[in-house]
Amino acid sequence: MIEALRAEWTKTRTTGGIAWLLTGAIAVTIAVSAGIAAATHVSPQGGQEDPTKIALTGVYLGQAVVAVFAVLTISEEYGTGMIRVSLAAMPRRLVLLAAKAATTTALALTAGILAVTGCLLVGRLMLPTAGLDPAHGYPLISIGHSPTLRAASGSVCYLVLIALLSLGVATALRDGAPSIAVVLGLLYLPPLLAQAFTDPLRRHIEQIAPMTAGLAIQATTDPHSQPIAPWAGLGVLTAWAAASLLIAALLLRLRDA
Amino acid sequence: MNDAIIEVTGLRKRFGPTLALDGVTFTAPPGKVTGFIGPNGAGKSTTIRVILGLDAPDEGHARVGGHPYRDLRNPLRHVGALVDAAAVQPSRTARNHLLWLARSQTLEAGRVDAVLELVGLAAAARRKAGGFSLGMRQRLGIAAAMLGDPPVVILDEPFNGMDPEGIVWMRKLLRTLAAEGRALLVSSHLMSELQGIADHIVVIGRGKVLAEAGIDELLARAAGEQVLLQTPTPAEAYRVLHRAGGVTTIIDDGALSVSGLAARQVVAALGQSDVVFSEVTTQRPTLEDVYFQLTSGEAEFGTNTVQGAQR
Repeated sequence: MIEALRAEWTKTRTTGGIAWLLTGAIAVTIAVSAGIAAATHVSPQGGQEDPTKIALTGVYLGQAVVAVFAVLTISEEYGTGMIRVSLAAMPRRLVLLAAKAATTTALALTAGILAVTGCLLVGRLMLPTAGLDPAHGYPLISIGHSPTLRAASGSVCYLVLIALLSLGVATALRDGAPSIAVVLGLLYLPPLLAQAFTDPLRRHIEQIAPMTAGLAIQATTDPHSQPIAPWAGLGVLTAWAAASLLIAALLLRLRDA
Repeated sequence: MNDAIIEVTGLRKRFGPTLALDGVTFTAPPGKVTGFIGPNGAGKSTTIRVILGLDAPDEGHARVGGHPYRDLRNPLRHVGALVDAAAVQPSRTARNHLLWLARSQTLEAGRVDAVLELVGLAAAARRKAGGFSLGMRQRLGIAAAMLGDPPVVILDEPFNGMDPEGIVWMRKLLRTLAAEGRALLVSSHLMSELQGIADHIVVIGRGKVLAEAGIDELLARAAGEQVLLQTPTPAEAYRVLHRAGGVTTIIDDGALSVSGLAARQVVAALGQSDVVFSEVTTQRPTLEDVYFQLTSGEAEFGTNTVQGAQR
């Protein structure tokens, strides 16, 4: 397993595009959050806002880049035929998948921590000018505030789980473009679809869809506004990622390379 | 090196309606280059993928050094293989491609530089593999195969895309590796590529092994020498040669081929009967002829022109 990890790490380290994609994921996440923060204007008599959630909005878009990164870690091997070289070198296929999952996790975690930290900083610096300041009853964003800490660490976990879900889908489908389409569809379509229905069906869709359930972790002020409890929502996404990796493992094990 | 052997027994594999392998059995012995020959689509690559544990056979098994490939620990130290020279990540340098492979087998980075030197890519080590010609990719593939200094080496169509110098280099390398006691399995759809380097030949067609023999035995098994000549009176010549004990075929109006008689006997018989003739030549069977005799009608995608070409 150590050998497989070192091999996968060396592959990742020496693939030109990976570093750029992860930098892109971080940049997109922070930029979107900054844009949203800049566009936010709160009227004094408006309803209660959730500054942490606003600051973490960038994750909505950043996750797409993380998904593309995770898909490419395996689909590029299928695209070039290098998967056969990999499997000849590492014939224990589940070990190979585990090593890929581990490197993907490590990189998504690093990117996630940097992106989320950036979002929180942007929120802390920019949101007070939008009226979300202590004078109006909104304390500065701080991870000393336990719901904020939960939202931040949960968002990092969310990005890691999205990466693992994507890795599983791409291993099962082997082709990059369809894999990206399936992952993005799985993430962004259910919330749109849910709008076509009324509660309780809408709520149920949002409870089981990977993105709406998973991002419930970002709410810090009014948990009841969310379709599902924060950690339970992340649990739903974990189930999605686990199912995806399980199917991937079975197919990888059974199929010819 | 008792690890230096490939044993393939009764492989059967079906892809949908096509029976890709129909009971493939052969052995690639140590210290020899085993030529694995057959037309495109005959089952060579499938067999190699099964040996490497990439494809699972429906029946039968393949062993390398006595073990199924999937049981090998650090398999590249036991078997080096070149399956598809194009299978490299274009953005990765040659050296980094070998480096991750080395890491996967707990091999030192020093091996990477050694095999780059061996295949003559040391100068291109830090260039991206995506910019390599097919010949250079073949060399990179050979470098990957030799990374673990394995007793068994399997190369699928290694001559594809190689320039003449590359071919000469490859032939020499294959001879050297076999002389070191390794078992080499080298596939090709062209018999001529392996003439002079293969000691042992396995001919495959439509998923079946058509012949497995030493090269001398295979040549001896082929139809013997033939004498070719031109004559303005083929019917007359045919009668004379038939009387003299030759098996004669009229190729076209003025050309005959004779087997069973030496050129000297043909000339004597025709001379005694005052038959006019010219351009007497002797043709010995080549590996190519043996291959055509064995595979005629077996080519999955070929035409039957080979069958009709009488000599």
